[in-house]
Amino acid sequence: MKRWRRGEGGWPWLAAGSVAVSLLMVAALVALLGARGLAHFWPADVELVTLSDGSRFAGQRVRHVETRAETQAKAGGGARTQVLYLTGNRDLDGQYWRWVDAERITKRETPAGLIVLERQRWGEFIGRLVALREDGATQLTRDAGDDALWQALQARLARVEALRERREWLRENRVAPLARRLAAGGEADSQSQHAELTAQLKAARARIADVQRALARDSLVLESVDGRRLAQPLGEVLAAWRPNAMSPFAKLASWGQRLWAFLSEGPRAANGAGGVWPAIFGTVLMVLLMSLIVTPFGVLAAVYLNEVARQGPLISLVRIAVRNLAGVPSIVYGVFGLGVLVYGIGGSLDQWLFSEALPSPTFGTGGLLWASLTLALLTLPVVIVATEEGLARIPVHQREGALALGATRYETLRHVVLPMAMPAMLTGVILAVARAAGEVAPLMLVGAAKLAPQVPVDGEFPFLHLDSKFMHLGYHLYNVGFLGGDVERAMPLVYAIALLLVLVIAVLNLTAIFLRHHLRARHRGPYR
Amino acid sequence: MIDFSPSATRLRRRLRHSRDRLATLLISAGGIGVIAAVLAIGVFLTLEVLPLLAPSRVTAESPARPAPPLAESVAWLRADARGGLTLLADDGRLWQGHVGETGETGMADQLDRLPAALLGGQSISAVAADASAPLLALGLDGSEVLLVPRAASGEPQWSHARRHSLFAGTPVAGLTFGSDDRHWWLAGHDRNGRVAVLRGARATDDGNLGDPPQRFTLPVSASQLALNNAGRLVVGDGQRLEVWALNGETPRHLGGVRALDSQRITALAYLVGGETLLVGDSGGGVRRWLNARGDRAPLIGAEPYSTPSQAAITRIAPLPDRRLALVLDAAGGMALYQAVAGRRWQGQAPDGEPLALSFTPDGERLWWLGEAGLTQFAIDAEHAEVSWQTLWTPILYEGHDEPQQRWQGDVSGVESEPRFGLAPLAWGTLKAAAWALVFAVPLALGAAIHSASYMSTRLRARIKPTIELMEALPGVVIGFIAGLVLAPYIERHLAGALALAVVLPLGLLLGGALWSRSPHRLRERLPLGWAGVWLVPWLALLVWLALTLSPTLETGLFAGDLRAWLQARLGLDYAARNAMIVGLAMGFAVIPTIYSLAEDALSGLPGSLGEGAQALGATRWQALWRVLLPAASPGIFSAVMIGAGRAIGETMIVLMATGNTAVMSWSPFEGLRSIAANIAIELPEAALGGTHYRLLLLSALLLFVFTFCINTLAELVRMRLKRRYRRLEAGA
Repeated sequence: MKRWRRGEGGWPWLAAGSVAVSLLMVAALVALLGARGLAHFWPADVELVTLSDGSRFAGQRVRHVETRAETQAKAGGGARTQVLYLTGNRDLDGQYWRWVDAERITKRETPAGLIVLERQRWGEFIGRLVALREDGATQLTRDAGDDALWQALQARLARVEALRERREWLRENRVAPLARRLAAGGEADSQSQHAELTAQLKAARARIADVQRALARDSLVLESVDGRRLAQPLGEVLAAWRPNAMSPFAKLASWGQRLWAFLSEGPRAANGAGGVWPAIFGTVLMVLLMSLIVTPFGVLAAVYLNEVARQGPLISLVRIAVRNLAGVPSIVYGVFGLGVLVYGIGGSLDQWLFSEALPSPTFGTGGLLWASLTLALLTLPVVIVATEEGLARIPVHQREGALALGATRYETLRHVVLPMAMPAMLTGVILAVARAAGEVAPLMLVGAAKLAPQVPVDGEFPFLHLDSKFMHLGYHLYNVGFLGGDVERAMPLVYAIALLLVLVIAVLNLTAIFLRHHLRARHRGPYR
Repeated sequence: MIDFSPSATRLRRRLRHSRDRLATLLISAGGIGVIAAVLAIGVFLTLEVLPLLAPSRVTAESPARPAPPLAESVAWLRADARGGLTLLADDGRLWQGHVGETGETGMADQLDRLPAALLGGQSISAVAADASAPLLALGLDGSEVLLVPRAASGEPQWSHARRHSLFAGTPVAGLTFGSDDRHWWLAGHDRNGRVAVLRGARATDDGNLGDPPQRFTLPVSASQLALNNAGRLVVGDGQRLEVWALNGETPRHLGGVRALDSQRITALAYLVGGETLLVGDSGGGVRRWLNARGDRAPLIGAEPYSTPSQAAITRIAPLPDRRLALVLDAAGGMALYQAVAGRRWQGQAPDGEPLALSFTPDGERLWWLGEAGLTQFAIDAEHAEVSWQTLWTPILYEGHDEPQQRWQGDVSGVESEPRFGLAPLAWGTLKAAAWALVFAVPLALGAAIHSASYMSTRLRARIKPTIELMEALPGVVIGFIAGLVLAPYIERHLAGALALAVVLPLGLLLGGALWSRSPHRLRERLPLGWAGVWLVPWLALLVWLALTLSPTLETGLFAGDLRAWLQARLGLDYAARNAMIVGLAMGFAVIPTIYSLAEDALSGLPGSLGEGAQALGATRWQALWRVLLPAASPGIFSAVMIGAGRAIGETMIVLMATGNTAVMSWSPFEGLRSIAANIAIELPEAALGGTHYRLLLLSALLLFVFTFCINTLAELVRMRLKRRYRRLEAGA
């Protein structure tokens, strides 16, 4: 101990511990997000649980919690464990979850015959497959063997999936354009054209109705593990799997499929299920737009500050002010965006250009353009500061050399200074993108929507709809986790979204870092 | 092929020069424009907030318009939303029309007379005319009242009027009216101070008055009456206020208060919403009394308003749509009072007693019929409810017993009173930031010290970007983890979480002691320079131990439940999402900021400083503590300031990790509501240009100014530090 005291004492250890604690926290956060976010898609085993009173239920084990406080008084100490099961079958049980005392569980099995269905309504079904029906007539029952029934179900699910795709295609490419033309045309179209359009629309709707009928052909007879039966139209079943019967490889494949569905589909069930494709698209699109706006303006301002303006106390004051704006809270920029861009400029635009649509606002409400502009403003100081640092680092003799050779100031700037400052500019844009992608607070004021399944880019003029609301991953996360109803049900989804958001930001960052590296290497040659 | 002819070069030179000038111009314009746009934020916020400071005003148009017919004997004046006027003379003559600027009257031939049978030969002596009341009650000098149903537009429907007896034989001197969904009440007093009440069922929309009303007499005497829409009658007589509840089967006396010591009550009126009673006295004082809840004294007195004169208050006229009242005094003064903000304007009334006055339904204009004629006043009091006092000091709000600082901005309609106290929000913001710093500063500075002085350079090159990458973690993700994962977990394992604060430092010291006694070989394997990494498993073990052992500890020390113990012993409520959770989460978010700036400040010091100290025999820690840290202290200070600025403005983490309850308490286990989160929640719903909207913008301006100042300070300190380093290097 004496040696220890004579050395440096305990303080260095506390300092070292701070690093370790920080690392531990980051590691824990990343591990938690990764594990929970990815586990959401894993087809976990379904347990058939028998309780001490003889009743049985099936469900996926979610987690267990030790409760102490209440039992202390009653049972005289000892922790009691409660297990949470996802039992599905909300149409039969009226609930989705079930808490069970661990002591009451007498038996847990994983029979291979248990299936999990993902349905458009009522969430998951967990139980057994009894029979397959076509037009109300039973085609196949489980007497033919579980596997045969399962194969038949798979085949029919593929058919249903194809039909659903066909229906969506018809809706998007036949009915929607016709309906829009009818609505937009108004009196401009002649009577005959109008009649023709109406007829086409009717025909297209009839085709959808046909598909709909074909979808309704098959139905399933299902049975929960306690013996209650249920008729389920197959058209509403999105996917089916038998987790207990799957090999690890099959599980991995199913995991990949569900992950892909999460990334490529739109949200369902009031954001409670389904995928996040519109949110990914919205986030990336908004960040792209933002960087398109912020790059030229930020560079312009930095070049002005560093190359054009006469250096003096005023300019250093402006410089400090700009630098400080990077530390102004993002919500303040949101307030500015709402007050000036949305209400001010947007409101005026509406009055000049879109007065026929008033009082429903076109640009006078939050939207993609205003969100991008607000974030551009928010990240402008970042770009300015980074670019300026790059410009200041360029040795004066480079400029002097160019000027001495007879170049004008513009030519010096264009051909000597800006290329050398390129990596710094990119650094600025990277930092801007990294900051913008994760920023949510201003978006709550200027345009992110809870639900906007249509992405703001489509085949209709002007292709990119700057006035439309859009979904954003971060805001989606907040919505699903905090404004939705069933937090327990939302949690896995929220984990997945959070992981995705972190990944998107990491990818954006890494791409930019790579770009910077690449450019730096390219520009190193001639100037050093 | 280069053309060397003189004319071509000259042309090209001129072209190049004009291009150069054009580019300079464009860059200047663009650069100034961009910087102006960014700096415009402060300007915009200030401009939007300024109207809050605009004083309220009641301005008369001049000159007065000549009075319309009947003015000399007017009993009742009504102004409608479109500028039309209705005058009723005390003998039943009626005039409806417009009065132009020069006194020309529209529809002059509308001079009318109520059917003689309606008044029964009596003349009108008192009127209860609340613009929003479903009935117009006219008190007659023959002791009866005439009840006239009013259409939704406020138009009296004379054909449905009914007469009822109120007193036996004495003229009605004062009337007041109130109604809820099912009943209406009419209270009146006569010259002798007797009080009588009529209670009736609410008429159906077709204007039918329904069953004849019940009549009660109250055993009190009155000079002033006020009645609200919940059937609460306040009787003013001399110095006392007596409160009666009329909403039961029979009137019930709720109690009384002595409102004044020496003055007499001369005017009484409920403001909109029926919770705030204004009492004017013979000494010119005006005081606000609130309906009490429960069994306390029936009225709670607020601080008297500051009043301009000693002249007796003659009349209190509440505005129809806001908690404002126009108060007249005997000296010809006129003042505008807001319920919580007090006197907002004072001025001179037109000469003489008003014959009648009426507000337009939107409360923006007042028609004053006086001796000089008809005067129109514009009431300009858009943000009258906001003053420096209401924002920052405790205020007695409706529904409370004592002054409190409250924020409740999103109220709709006139029934509930908005509470615009910014203090709880500012408190929440500072509290969250303070807890974040309590958590972040030791960790970030410790990490900065370690990585600047002890860590091996190879490790540092990797650790620094890693910790800085933490900065890119979006607030929404950290907020989600804090609000949905950490908060419930810590709620269940509070003892364990608190134990960590003790166990981790002790464990580290223990680790250090063990290390220094361990064999040399092991120490070479685990050098101090890499301690940031190899301590991680040791810490993980400690965390696990603390969390597993804490239930035992809890059973032993805190009777099994720390939360119950805190509640019972220290009176601390535990909210799942509380300041401690926010401190943890936001601390996590600001660690990278503070770390990287502090690390820069430390590693930017000239190497000679530390080396010199060590050469003189100091240990590394002594050199650090006595030499390096003092030298770098401005940089460290500015790092902490910038971290604080970030914590103050952080929105999503606070929004998600607290319950967003606007309470002011010191307890780390209670929730809070920060300015930033409040803006995010309420601004999308706030009406453009309203008081609520402007106050939210004011709070945004406060955030802006505060963070701007903090950052400027930090920046100045850093600039000075840079200069100092340069001097140090030059000296060395």
